[in-house]
Order: sequence, then structure tokens, then C-alpha cells
Amino acid sequence: MIKHLSIVAIALAFSAPVFAEKEFENHNNMMDHGDGHLMDMTGGMVMGQNKDILPGGCDRIAATKEITVHAGHKYAEKFPGRMFAFDVQEYQFEPCTKLTVNFVNDDDVRHQWMMHGLPKYLYPKGMFHLEVTGPGKISGTLIFPPGDKTYLVHCDIAQHMEKGMKGQLKIGKGDGDLPSIPGVTAYVIQDDYSDSIPDESITDTVVEEISKMKKKVTGNDSFFSGLTVIGLAIGLIIAPLLARKFKDMTAGEVITYILDLVKQAMNIVVKLVSWLISLVKK
Amino acid sequence: MQNNPLGMLLGAAVMLMPFAASAVVDLPKTVEVDRGKVEAACNENNPDWRKAQTIEGVSIQESLRCSPDNPYTIAAEVKGTNNLSMEALMNTHFAMDGIIKKNDMDGDGDPDLIIIKLEVAELNGHSPDFAGVVPTFDIAPGIQPGMWVFAPKSRGMATSSFVGTDANPLLRAPSPVIRVEQGDIIWIQLENTHYFPHTIHLHGVDHPWVDSTGEGNDGVPQTSDKFVLPGQSKTYEIRPRTPGTFAYHCHVQTHVHLAMGLVGMFIVEENRPNNWVQTFNVGGGQVRHPSKAILEDYDSEYDLHYHAMDKELHSIIQDYNDPRLIARKMNREYDLTDSTEDYHTLNGRSFPYTLRESIIVAEPDKNIKLRVFNSSGETLAMHTHGHKATITHYDGIEHNPVAQITRDVYDIAPAQRNDLKINTTDDGFHSYGEGVWIFHDHREKGITTDGMNPGGNVSAVVYKKYLNEVGLPKTIGESIEPLFTEAFHARKVPVWQNIDDWNSLGEVDAEGYVAPPPSVIAAADVTQGFADIEPPVNNSFRNLVFGLFLGLLAYLLIINRAKIMALISAIKGGS
Repeated sequence: MIKHLSIVAIALAFSAPVFAEKEFENHNNMMDHGDGHLMDMTGGMVMGQNKDILPGGCDRIAATKEITVHAGHKYAEKFPGRMFAFDVQEYQFEPCTKLTVNFVNDDDVRHQWMMHGLPKYLYPKGMFHLEVTGPGKISGTLIFPPGDKTYLVHCDIAQHMEKGMKGQLKIGKGDGDLPSIPGVTAYVIQDDYSDSIPDESITDTVVEEISKMKKKVTGNDSFFSGLTVIGLAIGLIIAPLLARKFKDMTAGEVITYILDLVKQAMNIVVKLVSWLISLVKK
Repeated sequence: MQNNPLGMLLGAAVMLMPFAASAVVDLPKTVEVDRGKVEAACNENNPDWRKAQTIEGVSIQESLRCSPDNPYTIAAEVKGTNNLSMEALMNTHFAMDGIIKKNDMDGDGDPDLIIIKLEVAELNGHSPDFAGVVPTFDIAPGIQPGMWVFAPKSRGMATSSFVGTDANPLLRAPSPVIRVEQGDIIWIQLENTHYFPHTIHLHGVDHPWVDSTGEGNDGVPQTSDKFVLPGQSKTYEIRPRTPGTFAYHCHVQTHVHLAMGLVGMFIVEENRPNNWVQTFNVGGGQVRHPSKAILEDYDSEYDLHYHAMDKELHSIIQDYNDPRLIARKMNREYDLTDSTEDYHTLNGRSFPYTLRESIIVAEPDKNIKLRVFNSSGETLAMHTHGHKATITHYDGIEHNPVAQITRDVYDIAPAQRNDLKINTTDDGFHSYGEGVWIFHDHREKGITTDGMNPGGNVSAVVYKKYLNEVGLPKTIGESIEPLFTEAFHARKVPVWQNIDDWNSLGEVDAEGYVAPPPSVIAAADVTQGFADIEPPVNNSFRNLVFGLFLGLLAYLLIINRAKIMALISAIKGGS
């Protein structure tokens, strides 16, 4: 038991730093894995670093610049409906600029500053990428190619770009704006804000509607209705007349008589149709 | 008299109308529906990953399924990302600080301080930039419900590559199985990368209510814990004394967050010397580096995590981008008490994808341990074909061996766990012999994907003899090829298309088809109505004729009253 307790005590002694408020970590002692890929054991990562190779078309480094980009939940405050953001959404530099980015993550989770679309012969997969678990800072350098182009910068952690961590970096005049940049451009696909919570549940309403409809359409299915009474009256009136009519007839004669009646009715219809046709012909 | 043939003809036609429908006519013709692109039943075959191997001292069991786990990932999960070479770690998606293992405090050859980092990932989520979802995770061909999962801390992009939108292999359903050793000090660090607050509750796992600093450790916002807000992190601190199969899940708006996928298995393995356990089993299924204690009694071990989803809930995060709207729709407008579960998954996938990942590979005369967890909203009725398994543990705790039950349907309530022992001795009781024996939920909706069968949580125990070279079962039944199409799951293809030479149960092509008048005196309400509403019936003519009939009958009664009276008195006299 005492052995166990002492183990726990030692373990807790080891663990103490983790439970203290997390300290800001400067990731400036990374291992170089070649190809501009640097990493350390606490999750800092740089990919696509290029400090000295001039991209094709640049005869010299046009300018040397340095920026500090902050990332975190708190930078989304000024953009309602966003959850994560960078502190600045737009940048502009001259072609062939050498840029050092100091990426500061103010959250306690991972964030990234990832840029796509760079020339692949210089930047593996055409990408420049900074990644750090906050609170902490990581820095990387790249040299931009010539030409006017707008680059996407974003955090690629699931839903971070969609929920606001997105910006654009224009080289020269750029080549247009990207969508969904907080405070700059609108969404391509807009949310529908018109819905509101219904007062009663949809299910209840539907059930009520259905029972109403049922009542309306099913109607009276009984054999007795106003028309039954009318039929009864007609029956009583015509019965003596029919009795007189068919008194001395055989069944065959009765059928012939009915056929003749129908024939006369059809004749009237035919005459009516011919008359209508003749009217049209005129 | 016959001076008007046209009138006579029409008259006859009118009178014969009711009998005209007996003319012979054809029914609409059969057509074959284009089923579109057919995926390869086994799409990602890494033959090297399937072999038994040792990476940097970590022995990894053979895994003959079509989509085996990446052995480098397993090596990182066993050694910790801090003890693995950079070269090996580069073959995984783990962050450098994803799993830290150190401090062999009792000197028994294994690390006793384990730091596990978890992030929260959204799968199949919304994009304001295009009409698709990101990053994608298909549970079946073309089926992409929006989901949230706890995920091991990864590095780099959320997607596998630049070209596609499919999630990287660490971002997947279900939330990963976590394995620790009894008595180790475990810190579970939740780094909330998601846009909503979350926590972790360690269900059944021995944990103090407060941690060493006096902060809440139970994950329940109403009693012990603050929300872990977006961008924040929180460390849970445990030293579990009791081994067993347990669980962990988010305890914020649990009714929806659990259903969304923030729930996983948490296994505490018995303490043994030099016992390096596989901290994560991403995607569940076979444990390729079983613990010492398991290998004492079993030849192989599988984690089976059953889950279910209501598509109405899982589409909310795909329909909206604004987190305030998503919160309103999910927390206040969505009503779980009116919900129905549509998608039924085993280890994050539905049939037929389960055949790639979640088959159990068997050989005769072996013992296989299954840890079965149900995180759906209803009781599961898991059934094994060809085998009767023994339930050795309920909710992680061993059942009295004398009283253990051997059966073929295992009912597991929501959040419960059963440990099953499958003995593959062909004795007509434990096993009926070699074959491809499916196992599945026996609530029949569980074997459907949104009502389409085959689908749902079906998988199979496949004996090695019946495994083909890419790790799929050598089936001798109907072809499973049509199931590997999006069209099938989108309900576009008849399930029995081309069942025979002339496609007798194929799709009906009723376009331009006009039905002849029915040949029987049809009931007035042959038209199928919606729900139980019948179409209105017009009774006017019927009632008129009925009245007429009554009138004539009355007249006959009156004129023949004398005869009738006589008849009645005759009957009376007769009696």
C-alpha cells in the first residue's frame, strides 16, 4: 500500500506541470527533416519552408517582409456566426517577396496557417504550412513566385475554415477575391435564417389536419339520404304508369321497348351533334 | 323499324359498356435500371499491412481483412508517439504529442504514465463554399450522415490527400476504442477543436469525481464540470483499479451529442508485467496487439461498437453553417422523443462496407474474444449464425463462471457491454463448422440502411478457408456486387434486378402506359389514398336507384296486399 502511495506521489510530482495553467511555448528548436519540413515533439510543424531559393521568373527578392498572425476563438468575436478566426483576413505583397510568418496560436488546441497553390517544384504539394498547438508560436519563411495571384490561407482542421478561420493573401494585384472570408466576402451557399421554432409540435398539427381532411372527404356513406327519398317518391309515382305500360307485354317485348327508348335517346344525341357540326361548318 | 343503324349501334355500345373491359391488354414493360458506377468490393488493399509483423519491437498480429489497420499506426498506439522513430511516425497521421507513454514507476517493463490526447472532429459537415460535405466519411456507398467523433490528435490536413475530400484515416467513426492498463496513471486531454462545448464522461471506468487539483473529473456540466469551450482543453485524470469493457462519451447535451457520435469504448486491461497495450484501436475491429491477459485465454480479440443514427438529426450540421443556428435546430427544435433511427452501423460502417473492416476471421478450435458495445438508442439483439457464444462479462464485470450463459441472441441495452467468447470447436453447439457465418442485429431494422436491405450492421465470422486473396469472404450465394453502388442505397435499383434471364422482377416502365378500364366491377375506392384516407365516394346515383327500388317494391306490396295477407294467414294456420 505504502509502495503504491509513493508511486502515486511520484507520478503526481511528475504530472504537476500539466495541470498548471498551460505556458506559452515558443517552437524555435525544431528538427529539420529536409525539404523545408521541420517538426518538434510538442506538435510544432513547418512544411514548405524556403528561405533562399528564388522561384523561376524572379531575378531577385523584391522585398523582405515579416508578419505576425494570431489565431484563435477570440478573433471570431467581431464576426457573428463564426467560431474561429485569424486576427487579419487579408494581406498583400509584391511578387518575389520573401515573407516570414510568425504564427501565434492563442487557443489551447491545434491551429494551422496553410497556404495552397504555390509552385510544386519549390514547395512539396504546392503548400506552405505552419501548425502549432496553443498557446504557442511557430515561424516559417517562404519566397513568393512572380505574377498576380490570390492565395487561400486557412486552417484545415475539420470545420475551422468553414467556421471562420480563413483569409486571402494577394500577390501583386491578386486575381480576384475568394468567397466566405469573414468581413470581406459572402458565403456562396447562404444559411436560411427565416425558420423559427413553431408554437406547437409539427406532429400534432399534422394529426389534426389529417383528421379534418378525413371528415371532409369521406362524407356520408349511408344508403339513406335525401336522394333515397326522392327515388322512393319517383318509384311510387311511376310504378302504376309502368304497370299499365307493360301490362300485356312479354319479357322480350319489354327489352325491345327499352332498347328502342335508348335508341331514340341516342338519335337525339346524334342529331344534336350533327347540328353542332353544321353550326361549326357555317 | 331498323331505319337508324347508327342510333342502334351506339345504343348497343352504351349498354355493353360495362363488359367491354374484358378485352386482352398488356401490362407495362420491364426495364433494366442503370446502376451506375460499381465500386470494387475491396478498394484499398495494402497487402503488406495484412501480414503478421514486428515494427520497432511491437508485434502485430496478422489481419486478413480487406482494409487492415496500418501497422505503423498500431506501433505508435502501442509504443506511444514519443517512443517511436520519426521515420515510422511519418507513416501515420498522429501528432508528435498524440500519445505520450513514459515513467515505468513499478519497474515491470511497461510505462505507467499515459497521456492520451483527443480532438473533436466533424465528419460530413457543411461548407459555405460548395454544395458538398467535408471531410467525407461514407458509412455505405453514397451514405454520408453528418457526424462528430472524438479523434486521436492528428497532424496536417483533415483529408487524406489534396485531391479528394475523404477524411484522413484517424478521423472516422466510431470514436476510437481506448485501451489502458489497470493501475496506470492516465491523463486524457480533451483538446476541443470543435465549434460547440464538449466534455468527457468515463462511463463505468474507475475515476475520482474530482482530480488532483480539485477540478471536476466526471464530465457532467450540471454537477462537476465546466464546459470545455471551443479552442480550450481539459485533462481528465484517472488510475483505474477495475479492469473491463467500459465506455466514454460527451456529457454536454448528451441526448444529441452521444447520437452524433461522441461516444466510444474504453477498455481497461488487467495488469501484467511488460504489458504494452494498444492505446487506440481506431475504427474498432480486430485488436492486432492484444494485451498479455487476453493472450492467456484467447487467440484473437475484436472490438464491436454498434451505433445508430437518425438522419434528421445528422443532416442539421449539413444544412446550416452558423453555429448559432445549428445549436438552435439541434438543441431546441429537434425532438429526440419523436425520432427514429435510420442508419445502423458496426464500427462506424454499414453493410457492405462492414465486410471490408469488421469481419471476424476464424480458424477451427480457437477462442475469440468479442467486446460488444451498444451506443444506439435502443436495445440491440445481436445474433451469431453458426455459433453460440458465451457471455463472460456484463458491463465489464465477469459473470460467475458457473452461471455464465451460452446463447445465440445477445440483448444489449443502450450503453451496455457484453464480452463474448466464441469457441470455434465444431461440436454442433459452440460452432457448426467452417463457413461464412453472418452476425447481425435481429431487430430487422438493424439490418437496413434507412430501410434498404441488405444494409445496417451486418457482418460475418469468416473462416480462413473461406477468405479470398484480398480478404473478402468467398461467398457462394448471390453476387454482392450490386450493393457496392450508390444507386442501390439511393433506392433506385430494384433489389432483384436481373434475378433471372428475362429480369422477371425488374423495374416497371409505366411511362406513357394507359391502363384499360378494369375488367371487374371495381370498388369505388381502388385509388390508393394517402395514409388511411379513402377517396370520397359519390353515393347519389346508388341512393336514387335504391329509392326507386323501394318505391316499386311498395307499389307491388300495395297492389298485391290481398295475396300477401292470405299467404301470411296460411303460414299462421299451418303452424
